[in-house]
Amino acid sequence: MKFRMLLSVAALGVVTAAPAAAQTTLNVVSAGDQNMVDYVNNYLGPKFEQMNPGVKVRAVGTGPGDSGSQKIYEKLSAQQKAGSATWDVDVAVVHQRGAATMVDEKLLMPYRNDIAAGKLVSRDTAKNALGANVDGYVLPMFHSQIAFAYNPDLVKTPPKSFTELNDWVKKNPKQFGYNGVKGGMSGVGFVMGWVAANSGMGEKLEKGPYDPNAKATIEKSLAGLKDFNQYVVMTPGNAGTLDMLNRGEIAMGPVWVDMFYTWMADGKMNPKVKLALPSPGLPGQPMYYVIPAKAANAALAKKFIDFAESPEVQADGIVKQFNWYPGIDPQYVQSKMEPAAWNKLFTDISPADLSKNGRPFPLSQYFTDIVEGYERVVLK
Amino acid sequence: MATLADGAIVSAPPGGRGRWAAIALVAPALLVVGVFFVVPLLLSAVGAFRAPGGGFTLAHFDKSLELYTKDLIFTVAIVALSTLLIALVAILIAGYLTLGENARAVAILRWLYRWPLFIPFVVAGQIMRTFLAKNGMLNHVLIGAGLIEPISAESMLDWRGIVIAFVWKQAPFVTLLLAGAMASLERQHIEAARNLGAPRWRVLIDIVLPQVRGTLLVGLVLSFVTMLSVLSVPLMINPNSPTMITVDVAYRINTFADYAVANALCLLSLLLAAFGAAFYLRHAVQRAEDT
Repeated sequence: MKFRMLLSVAALGVVTAAPAAAQTTLNVVSAGDQNMVDYVNNYLGPKFEQMNPGVKVRAVGTGPGDSGSQKIYEKLSAQQKAGSATWDVDVAVVHQRGAATMVDEKLLMPYRNDIAAGKLVSRDTAKNALGANVDGYVLPMFHSQIAFAYNPDLVKTPPKSFTELNDWVKKNPKQFGYNGVKGGMSGVGFVMGWVAANSGMGEKLEKGPYDPNAKATIEKSLAGLKDFNQYVVMTPGNAGTLDMLNRGEIAMGPVWVDMFYTWMADGKMNPKVKLALPSPGLPGQPMYYVIPAKAANAALAKKFIDFAESPEVQADGIVKQFNWYPGIDPQYVQSKMEPAAWNKLFTDISPADLSKNGRPFPLSQYFTDIVEGYERVVLK
Repeated sequence: MATLADGAIVSAPPGGRGRWAAIALVAPALLVVGVFFVVPLLLSAVGAFRAPGGGFTLAHFDKSLELYTKDLIFTVAIVALSTLLIALVAILIAGYLTLGENARAVAILRWLYRWPLFIPFVVAGQIMRTFLAKNGMLNHVLIGAGLIEPISAESMLDWRGIVIAFVWKQAPFVTLLLAGAMASLERQHIEAARNLGAPRWRVLIDIVLPQVRGTLLVGLVLSFVTMLSVLSVPLMINPNSPTMITVDVAYRINTFADYAVANALCLLSLLLAAFGAAFYLRHAVQRAEDT
């Protein structure tokens, strides 16, 4: 009797202790909008936990835009400077500029060749982030793209190029809206597209080499934008542009494609509104999965990213549920999806248009010159 | 009458032991203020003058003034105008609460005016974003009431939106202070003036206001300084040029990781706030001397 009681107490101890001992927390820190945190917490995390008993995935968001990546950079950099043996971030999701800085300062661990999904990526962005070499350190989680959203009731044929847009706003004043450079990346992207189209240095902005003397050329093209701004409405932020389109206050404006489709899927968007990608293009960007150099659970982090980059997850999670363009080569994803679901993403912008007019953001030095030039020339 | 503001000035206790005990008691609070407020403030001030190499420079101020002079002026103008309007609204409401003769109207107003006090700035910004838009609720009401033509409806999401949000949010705060001060006045003055036939507005301007001038000014100074530091409202209503200096500070950090120019901009807005602080201190000292 005594023995049996002892046994049951021991058993109880094992039962309660076992999960506690095996419980590992994978810390995922994500820059970007709330939907990125939702993606990990509501979709990716639970699936990964189910496949790996004893693992808990905890995702934290650091906020939208480059500032979100900046916060992750500052945290890792502080831990590096403090000489910590292990860092408390296992997987980070960052923007291109953030990734470039982090690779440069040796805050990240190369991992692409360690995981199977590393072979599935094909786009140049897996190696090059705004001119910085990030080969091996990053895998694109998804790609997103800026495009014009327009109301076809008011705009029968959307402008096909920036030149046509310039004529269009003069005929239809206060019908085009964008959010400047201080209200979010869709406005910044529009300004980048404008400079690429009007400065004649599109190629050079993307591929380099960086030439500090090009500032004059950039500022000349921005002078045209100052004139253009007289005919447009400034909107309060990325969501502000979509709001104003919905309320019929503007007829056209640059938006993030994924945000547009998500609003559409949630019924927050006028279902008539369509997308168009003008020539010579608007920028888009990937978000990257990265692993900090001294991540406490590096092996598990690799497993997590390998899972996140698998064609099944990319098809069901990234494309179907969250309306992003896939991070890995589309050919692996398309075969895992219903044609209808796949085509939904390409209704307005065909894959051919996307590959022709979906541009990367300029090199980071040019990026800085352009946004500062905007303040100097357009805002003064 | 002792108020909260006077609480800071207490007579020193006699004898050495009490004095050390008092210092020991305030030490934790002082430490927190020192470590989490004064030190970062000093670091920020130092950062505004530090060149990338570590030397002294004024380059960050040059850049701040080159790019953001317009925004600095805009900020001062917006905050000054808002302060003025807040004063007007607060005087009207507090005046009616003190001198109003319809008990029911006074009760309703007393209940209503405090609501915005409990609403954070960011929420106020969000409310205004849909309320003041071109096809927003305000214009719908105005068009529906036949007050404006649909074609002349325009968005107020510019400087006007910021001013409206600030006044809406801060006027109740000043009203609260002002109404409190007015309520504690001796009623005889008011009643004497009324008996001699003065209309209520004369009583408000000539009898009541001069006696609560100090409270009104303190409330306005506190609002002025608070509004200088609000980021959410301009960011949500009008982040484009010209905008308030807080948006520029956030922008320098978020887009360029440029803490130096951001620090310089902060120091410039600190200068603006310092006017308010100097005024507040002078008034507080005066009050301490009076009592």
